[in-house]
Amino acid sequence: MTISQLSHIAMEMGVILLSNGAETYRVEESMHRICIALGAREAEIFCVPTTIIISITMDDIETLTLTRRIHTRVTDLTKVDEMNHLSRQICYEAISYDELLLEIKHINNAPSYPYLLQVLAFAFISQMFTLFFGGSFKDSCIGFIIGIGTKLLMDIMSRLETNNFFINMVGGFIAATVAVTAAGLGLTTHMNTIIIGSIMTLVPGLVITNAIRDIIAGDYLAGLTKGIEALLIAASIAAGVAVPLSLLRPFWGG
Amino acid sequence: MTYFLPCLYAFGASFAFAVVFNIKKNKLLFSALGGFVGQLTFALFQLIIGNDVILYMLAAIAISLYAEIMARATSSPTTIYLAVALIPLVPGGGMYYTMLYFINGETDLGVSTGIHTLLISGAMAVGIILVSSLVTLTRKIMIRRRLSIRKQSKQDLNESE
Repeated sequence: MTISQLSHIAMEMGVILLSNGAETYRVEESMHRICIALGAREAEIFCVPTTIIISITMDDIETLTLTRRIHTRVTDLTKVDEMNHLSRQICYEAISYDELLLEIKHINNAPSYPYLLQVLAFAFISQMFTLFFGGSFKDSCIGFIIGIGTKLLMDIMSRLETNNFFINMVGGFIAATVAVTAAGLGLTTHMNTIIIGSIMTLVPGLVITNAIRDIIAGDYLAGLTKGIEALLIAASIAAGVAVPLSLLRPFWGG
Repeated sequence: MTYFLPCLYAFGASFAFAVVFNIKKNKLLFSALGGFVGQLTFALFQLIIGNDVILYMLAAIAISLYAEIMARATSSPTTIYLAVALIPLVPGGGMYYTMLYFINGETDLGVSTGIHTLLISGAMAVGIILVSSLVTLTRKIMIRRRLSIRKQSKQDLNESE
């Protein structure tokens, strides 16, 4: 395998891992493992949530450095799982360049759950958390409706490439507006419970987990960046919820 | 029942989150079970311990242990099990009430609730760090022991020859 083929494979795998929600150390470790297994003498990888830099040395003279910027990040843990599996497989058995490319393409294009199921799952999260925080069944149904509304609107906004913080702010805004309206119409007395249950769908659970795991692994830069991202998302959810609570105050009688 | 129902709700929420995170079909159930384990630990220790910061730490420890074991058993990344199961523990209520107190002008209540929420997040982080570090440590010790056994057997072979 030539040096440019090797760097191409390693970079593709790294990008898929990083942009689908893998921890920084996993990306660096997998890429290093692949490079050594495919015949590089030395491989240095630097990875932060938005960039991957890889420098490969083959033989003694030839060195190649590649940089890739990550623009969009989603959460698809199946891709992380399969890519992780592939990177281990490469170490045990020889796979040709074309086969590897095909395999990577196959993993990257794997179908996710149907959209309707995702919307229902989102609504179900909000319903379950409303019950979890002590709401009645009727409250949880309002939570379910809020869940559908937030998911649909957030998807439209992310298709228009709105920034992450504004999306979460709008999510919090919808949750609070619907809950306040329901309380104003006399449908529920547990307004707070509904709002808490609905904003749990927006909470950046994966970001928090990865931030902690990155910091333990010694990737302070990536860990701090993700930690601040999580804090800002939490703050923007709170800001979104605060707007209707303050403006509609006469309505809910607080 | 009052202790058991929240565990079921946590399980349901974790399951739905696993779908949103697009976890494979055969791992959906096990990753959602982590949320159940965490909430069960929380509910059980609630009977003995009154301090809820410690409770959150214990629940985080239970979830991390479960996630590490499941990750080894199914040879997949730990994050798959950890991220999904931790979400029911995230102090969403604390965040909300902090904000509510602030916009109501009750700053002192807001500050104390905010600090309590931060403490809970810190306790969860400590729980995750504890388990993850211990697992790494035991793995390193086991690898070293295996290497030394291999060396020993090689020496024995050489001596017998």
